Amino acid sequence: MAETDRDTELVRLAQAGDAKAFQALVVKYQRRIARHVARYVRNSGDVEDVVQETFIRAYRGLASFRGDSAFYSWLYRIATNTALSHLKRQSNDVLLGDDAPDERAEAFEPGVSDRDNPERALIAKQVADVVQRALGKLQPELAEALMLYEVEGKQYAEIAGMLDIPIGTVRTRIFRAREFIAKRLEPVLDSQRNRRW
Amino acid sequence: MSLKVSLLLDGQLAPGEVKATLEGTAADGLLRDRYTLYGLVGDALRGNSTPDDGFSARIFERMQREGARIEPGYDPFKTRG
Repeated sequence: MAETDRDTELVRLAQAGDAKAFQALVVKYQRRIARHVARYVRNSGDVEDVVQETFIRAYRGLASFRGDSAFYSWLYRIATNTALSHLKRQSNDVLLGDDAPDERAEAFEPGVSDRDNPERALIAKQVADVVQRALGKLQPELAEALMLYEVEGKQYAEIAGMLDIPIGTVRTRIFRAREFIAKRLEPVLDSQRNRRW
Repeated sequence: MSLKVSLLLDGQLAPGEVKATLEGTAADGLLRDRYTLYGLVGDALRGNSTPDDGFSARIFERMQREGARIEPGYDPFKTRG
């Protein structure tokens, strides 16, 4: 496994047949993979379809993952490949003239729109607002640890070194920061509770 | 236990703790929510605040419907198959 791969143990369990471990990886990465796929596929319904296919391909091919790269890098490459295959199939459909070629061609433009899912777009905006407001109310040392990890991409040990604190303190600061923000997100997402993992 | 969920998300648990934490999380709706919410917090800070809204569940449903399983020799980079 790659030395910096944070998913080593979850991947190992998934490869051994633990479905919950793979589900945890899906929940963790679905949003990032969807954003990546949306760079290729415009329609949000198609994005979802390509993301589903990406995870299915990854699961079927899990035995071939040797850990030469981080699991997310491997997944990202599968998503790229799956999105390009999707575009190629669409291209073939257009060339065959099966239906509405002008509308289908539009799908080749990069980027995705939530125009067809206004509820999702609205909640996404609310989430962004709540997270930013909560971040402003967090104790500075908690916000600093969280931002270093989530935005700057630093490892726990690096953060400990930078802030000159024990790694155990990094763990609790990141956790407390997440918990503070999560509590403020709950009311926004309550209506979706039954639709989550 | 929520602290362990946070560490699970970040791959910071000792290898021997992962399976038990994973099972505990999967069995408890509140902890599953925590795992999802902590992930959303990180993604939102990176500018991607789209809620899950059943997205993951639909992936699992399709995997089940299609009988997806780990297949030795399967190449996930192949165009079809």
